[in-house]
Amino acid sequence: MNTIRQQLASPLQLLVLASAGIILLPLAYVTAQALSADPIVWSRLWATRIPELLFNTISLAASVAVITLVLGVSTAWLITRVEFPGRRMWEGALVLPLAMPTYVLAYVYSYLLGFGGPVEHLWQLIAGPQVRIFSPHSYWGATLVMALDTFPFVYLLSRSALLSMNVSFEEVARASGVSRLSTLWRVTLPLMRPSIAAGIALVILYVVSDFGAVSLLRYQTLTYAVFQQMTGRSDNTAASILSLLLVGLALIFLITERWFRQRSRFYQTTGRYRAPQRHRYGWLGTVAVTGYLGLIVGAAFALPTSLLIQWSLSHEALATLDSRFFGFVWNSGILAASAATGGVLIGLPLAYLASRRPTWLNLGCLQAAYAGYVLPGPVAALAVLVLFTKLAPVFYGSVLILIVAYVIHFLPAGLQSLEPAIQQITPNLEEVSRTLGLGVRDTWRRVTLPLVRNGFVVAWVLMFLQTIKELPATLLLRPVGFDTLAIRVWMEASEEYFQLAAPSALLIVLLSLPALALLVSKDWRAA
Amino acid sequence: MSFVCSPPTLRRTILSGFVLLFAAGLIAGIFVPFALAGDTLTIYSGRSERLIKPVLDAFTATTGIQVQLLSSGTTELVNRLKAEGDRTSADLLITNDAGSLELARVAGLLRPLNMREIERAIPAQFRAPDNAWVGLSGRFWIVVYNSTMVKPDQVKSLLDLADPKWKDKIAIPNSGSEYLQAGVSVIRATYGEEKTKRFLQGLKTNADTQVYQKSSQIVEAVAKGQVALGIVNHYYVYRHLAAQPGAPIAVVMPDQQEGGMGAIMNVAGVGIVKSTKHLDSAKLLVEFLVAQAGQKMFADLDKEYPLHPDVKADPALVERKSFRAALVPLTKLAELREPTLILIEQVGLR
Repeated sequence: MNTIRQQLASPLQLLVLASAGIILLPLAYVTAQALSADPIVWSRLWATRIPELLFNTISLAASVAVITLVLGVSTAWLITRVEFPGRRMWEGALVLPLAMPTYVLAYVYSYLLGFGGPVEHLWQLIAGPQVRIFSPHSYWGATLVMALDTFPFVYLLSRSALLSMNVSFEEVARASGVSRLSTLWRVTLPLMRPSIAAGIALVILYVVSDFGAVSLLRYQTLTYAVFQQMTGRSDNTAASILSLLLVGLALIFLITERWFRQRSRFYQTTGRYRAPQRHRYGWLGTVAVTGYLGLIVGAAFALPTSLLIQWSLSHEALATLDSRFFGFVWNSGILAASAATGGVLIGLPLAYLASRRPTWLNLGCLQAAYAGYVLPGPVAALAVLVLFTKLAPVFYGSVLILIVAYVIHFLPAGLQSLEPAIQQITPNLEEVSRTLGLGVRDTWRRVTLPLVRNGFVVAWVLMFLQTIKELPATLLLRPVGFDTLAIRVWMEASEEYFQLAAPSALLIVLLSLPALALLVSKDWRAA
Repeated sequence: MSFVCSPPTLRRTILSGFVLLFAAGLIAGIFVPFALAGDTLTIYSGRSERLIKPVLDAFTATTGIQVQLLSSGTTELVNRLKAEGDRTSADLLITNDAGSLELARVAGLLRPLNMREIERAIPAQFRAPDNAWVGLSGRFWIVVYNSTMVKPDQVKSLLDLADPKWKDKIAIPNSGSEYLQAGVSVIRATYGEEKTKRFLQGLKTNADTQVYQKSSQIVEAVAKGQVALGIVNHYYVYRHLAAQPGAPIAVVMPDQQEGGMGAIMNVAGVGIVKSTKHLDSAKLLVEFLVAQAGQKMFADLDKEYPLHPDVKADPALVERKSFRAALVPLTKLAELREPTLILIEQVGLR
């Protein structure tokens, strides 16, 4: 009892408790609303929408998982185990798709693969005039777009697993006469399993909570259905029921990812680290590898980007680059900057206390802050909306409500890099500083802050990047006159005004690039 | 990977940049609502931006009153008005569906108006009894067909689209669209629950995945021959034809046969939000929209039928006098909405 009172006394502690409460409350409200819903609504949804939505969501996640597994692991293996001209260029280029928001890729592909689109024309030249290709507005279309957009997660994790792996295991296998292919299958891949699993879980989490691509490709998933319920119905009961299901689904994959990530930390045995030997391929091999990587990077980044550039330079698109357009840029920038700053300010005490005073209370608060991971955009919007209308209606329709939704939604991304940054510094440094006569405030300013600053910057940039791309919560919560770049892309693209959507889309991609570079060099997990 | 970290000085600059940006964000967040307080009207609009902005720009040009626009889904905006209550910054609500306007009126969100300009310009069946909302333009739910794939006499009624022979050949709007809800309400009121349910089930099977968020996409799909038929509001067809005069699409004005229910009509309209602090400016805008010039512009931008009896519709449209409209009154769309939604959900339309 005494300890609890002491803990509560500290203002920092109160702050942490308050922020954890603010983060959890929306989730609690949605859960309560869903559970208190009329059983008739539940049974109606079960009888009509839920089986289809669950099936669609899970089958999309499954097919994307399989494709990203193949793409991610094969590219990582080529990059780390084969030497060919331009290898280092490809090593970086394979990350570029992360700069492409799913809705941008989706809209580019609904043009490319659309009925009577360029790909179909090409195919008709080969296969005859009446042949049709698959529609992008389908299961396969959604699979393609999501897989191209998310395979870098698996690539990055597999790549670092391959780089840090002890090559002696493979050498022993080879020395015992096991063939190269068999070694890959029986030694290398099993060793990579935890990393791959963590990557796949991350991909699935991303697919399950995506709104942009599925809405433009009209593929019905739970996340999309929540949005449709919120915008098409006058009460939010059905939306909260679907949200609760979605939260449950996301939670399963979040726990899976964490479990495998923990395991992937400890599988390394002792032994001297040596860089793996890279095979040198002949010219035929080089051409094949370059062609393969070129196809992937081309489809996921180069082709969409060049189309966006071409569209942006079109006459119609250039005509939209007026003062209004710069207003949208400004709105995006301001919102993202405020959300990122808010996220750092809230995340910092949470991470600090959890690392310095790891009581159950503080650790619990930190875990609570990760709730945003299982709140896909529309759900976060719904939750914040319900909460504000009940508790603080004054702020409804203001910028604040939107920023709160962003912070809740993206705080996990920031914490991913705040947490390790704070763990890095040992308490000894601060103690020394105190012993040498610096006060609490000076110690913080002159010792702690400089040490964690780098982690801050990364956290800030990550949250900024996420917010600038964010679509569903912005659509649902934006105040009057606060359209952002993402909103413009979606509004124009959903009416198939491809050219008009291009400048905003291109700008989002370009803004994401430097952040991506920073992210890859530090902590890319949260992209 | 070799991504180089920024040098310390650069980092400091970036850091102070962040702080500045945040401060600016705070200031913007605080002052934006006040900045609007001058002679500026805030409009929540369920009508897409490109269809309404030119009219509002014309209004600003004549009166000097600035307009702020929030374009979004109609139901979403009504929900938002409800949640915001008296604190809303909205002065007017413009939607493309009389049912939503009537729901807003019943919820007490709109302000009854006593204006002779309205009564003189807009016939009584196109506005609320207390003028809390006023219709501005009329639209009809029609069948669009690809003229290379379908002959005009193959479809007489909307209900024909549920016929199994059109399997995988039709495109429909999604169930969140207010005019689908309004259309189904009218069919229910005319033919009853059972027949409507069978119609929706047939529609669902025939359309399969061809369910669209935007009607412009349906017309596009019909024009390209991806599907043979689609259900849309009439103006999407004429807008497409205005942009691409050669497109092989045409309109069936449905249910005109002997004893048929008539074409399903809906109106786009405007209401003044009850708590508005700019009543005079808001009234000026309503006046502007119901006057002949405003009516012409508002209707023509979207190729709709003006409601002012003296204003002529775009000559490209089917002559208004040549067809019948369904008899269900617009104000009934609101009370019909909820049971219709339940039916739509039972059938499981997307």
